[in-house]
Amino acid sequence: MSNALTNKPRVAVHKFSSCDGCQLALLNLGESILQLSQLVDIKHFAEAGPIDEDTKVDIAFIEGSVSTSLDITRLKKIRDNSTYLITMGACATSGGIQALRNMANTNQWIADIYANPSVIDSLDNSSPIKNHVNVDLELWGCPINKRQILTAIRALLFGVLPTEEHDKVCAECKRQQTVCVMVTKNQPCMGPVTRTGCGALCPHIGRACYACYGPAENSNTRALANRLHGLGLVKDEVARRFLFINSGAEQFNPEGLHWKT
Amino acid sequence: MTTKTININVPVLARVEGEGALDLTIENKKITDLKLRIYEPPRYFEKFLEGRNHYDVLDTVSRICGICPVAYQMSATHAIESIFDITITPWIRTMRRLFYCGEWLQSHSLHIHLLAAPDFLGFNSVIEMSAHYGDQVRRGLKLQALGNDLVALLGARSVHPVGAMIGGFSHAPDQKSIDAMLQRVTEAKQDSVNLVQWLDNLDLADDEQDFISVALHHDDEYAFNEGRLISDSGLDIPVSEFEKHFKELHVDHSTALHCLFNGKPYLVGPLARLNLNKDQLPKEVKHVLQGLKTVFPSNNMFHSIIARAVEIHFTLVEAEQILRNYVYTDQPYVEFEPKAGTGYGCTEAPRGILWHRYDMDEAGCVKKAIIVPPTSQNQPRIEQDLKDSLIRLGLDSAKDKLQLHAETVIRNYDPCISCATHFLNLNLVRDGVFEGSNQLSTIVPQFKNIELNKAAIIGIGSPHEGDDAGWQMIDQLLQNRTIKSLQQKGLSLFKLDRPGIALADNIKPYDFVLIIDAIKSNDSEQDFICFDAHQLKSAIKQISSHDMGVLESVALIKSLHLLPKQLLIFAVPDIKDKFIEEIINIINC
Repeated sequence: MSNALTNKPRVAVHKFSSCDGCQLALLNLGESILQLSQLVDIKHFAEAGPIDEDTKVDIAFIEGSVSTSLDITRLKKIRDNSTYLITMGACATSGGIQALRNMANTNQWIADIYANPSVIDSLDNSSPIKNHVNVDLELWGCPINKRQILTAIRALLFGVLPTEEHDKVCAECKRQQTVCVMVTKNQPCMGPVTRTGCGALCPHIGRACYACYGPAENSNTRALANRLHGLGLVKDEVARRFLFINSGAEQFNPEGLHWKT
Repeated sequence: MTTKTININVPVLARVEGEGALDLTIENKKITDLKLRIYEPPRYFEKFLEGRNHYDVLDTVSRICGICPVAYQMSATHAIESIFDITITPWIRTMRRLFYCGEWLQSHSLHIHLLAAPDFLGFNSVIEMSAHYGDQVRRGLKLQALGNDLVALLGARSVHPVGAMIGGFSHAPDQKSIDAMLQRVTEAKQDSVNLVQWLDNLDLADDEQDFISVALHHDDEYAFNEGRLISDSGLDIPVSEFEKHFKELHVDHSTALHCLFNGKPYLVGPLARLNLNKDQLPKEVKHVLQGLKTVFPSNNMFHSIIARAVEIHFTLVEAEQILRNYVYTDQPYVEFEPKAGTGYGCTEAPRGILWHRYDMDEAGCVKKAIIVPPTSQNQPRIEQDLKDSLIRLGLDSAKDKLQLHAETVIRNYDPCISCATHFLNLNLVRDGVFEGSNQLSTIVPQFKNIELNKAAIIGIGSPHEGDDAGWQMIDQLLQNRTIKSLQQKGLSLFKLDRPGIALADNIKPYDFVLIIDAIKSNDSEQDFICFDAHQLKSAIKQISSHDMGVLESVALIKSLHLLPKQLLIFAVPDIKDKFIEEIINIINC
């Protein structure tokens, strides 16, 4: 690894436009958060207390997508101050659910919601972090879970780069011996193109995966889309399977737009 | 009469669930401006829902909030089920209560321990607090974890759970996992009683005020999902009539809409619920209530934290009851056909009523959605509370006292915009006097017998809203020839970003410290303010948890007897050559 970490790495957790759910992967650690705070030096984590936004750190975790002009300035500063920059969750990694607005006329939406639209500051797009700065590691998921973030931190503590999970949810279902919901129930499952990491939660409890962990490696999105269409989904509905939590992801966006009427 | 203007400007309330700020101006002992500004970029969820099929709705609305996704899913599902004429089974109804118990338990535990308690006990974060209150923190984190696991029992995960669906749940937990959960819930009950009693004995400010409480009410149970909307001012309506009495308005200073009840602010959340529904609590919880010093109904807003703890105890009593009587079913959901129509759903999110309205088409797709979250309902109430309680505190109070009180008031509502209400900077302008008395001398204090190798100039700033005058002053000073020569003799200069109490560590190596911080002023002629920290009148009893302004930090450092020999605070409204010269004079004495 080119950039060795210090004995007790300095860590920052930053939030951009998001729901907070990925920070909860840390805040929900229970007692492990106290243990974690002994292994790493948490310099900035507004929700947990410490605030030192512009400090130099070994690892910066970023939650949320870029959606205002101020965000971009902030982000560049964070990049300059961090050895490793890791995105956590769909918003930071693909633009998240709010990237759905990228396909719409946001000015019209603002006018629909707010009585005095001129005071609302909002960029047209909600974009992932990697559109603006170099990202060292992406943690996919809406939300990410404790295991993902602890694995990443542990790997960096051991001096190796964390391995990414690109496997498909299908593979996880097979490992767990979960019955396939598409084969047995004709459910429009996104498992064949979705990255694992969640533990195949949805098929495990009998429902279709809705791709909250984003695209898997080498996904054949067209073949799945054709299959969904074959199951009886109208074209727009096929489109919406791809244009949902990770509508901004490179592998999903063109497939969704292809089916959108 | 002296004209006296106090501006309290807190530019960043939080980088979290919402982004907000506080503006407060006091002129001649009157509040002339008070705004809780919310500027979290709009996230357009109501628009994302349009055209989506009903089965995408719960997975969409959960993303509004990572801390209360269950509430969003429950309000939405009840609204849509009413349109589709779905009658859920008693099993589903009961399991939804269990699901909600988990969410209240984790959300309330999170707020009490990670956000609020450090405030009341004088710590910067739960991590610091754990060094002194280890048992209480561990107890709190354990309760929080239990709440998360309870949500995951039905939802497969605690954040954005996937188990709930329109018509029920996609699976029923097996008896083994129910039994394991029952044991943990039963064991945790005593912890929750201890928590309630611990908070009951905290020294909370007395702050009686008039406000209207609004909550969902069910005659036979403490309401989660089902009931009528009632208030202590006589309201009693079905949730479908919400729009007749409650109106959402857009105010310029907030991207969250403000909601008013017949034109007035009102309160939702744990205290409102306990005030209105305490008779519906199970006996076991009532018994704990009776043993408390605190009496409900209460008009003291600070009793919210106790109400929150009482509800934690309630969720465990309720969950124990449900788990004990659990019977597995292979029918965890009911079948249905979508229909067109309009439906309403209102459930009790951890922070108060969360109201949804959906217009669906025949195919079961959303035509229009309206979502009124608790925080937009409490926002006008928070502003009203701030006005009242600051007036009560005395508008001529010390500025730090005013600000601390303001922060405490806001945080006390557990606003979702501030799933962390981390107040950052504090900017003060006061024409005339400082610190509520005539402390401020027109004579600029000087260092006595300065030793340059033990002297430092520290610029404090932040990257937000141009609050970087302290940093810019350091940049300018570093260009100055005199300063350069003083540096060679050992003088240190550096910048800090809102250090909070970490300021204590930063100044430790020095005997002579000059802190440069920005003050905000509309007056272009505003002069600098310089004073000696040793003359700060008193330390502050309650400090804000998540970050402290320079004055709070210095006051705390003083109360801990950690001040260096001399510590001067030099506050500047902007960058002027005159200020640079003044600083050089102080250092080069």
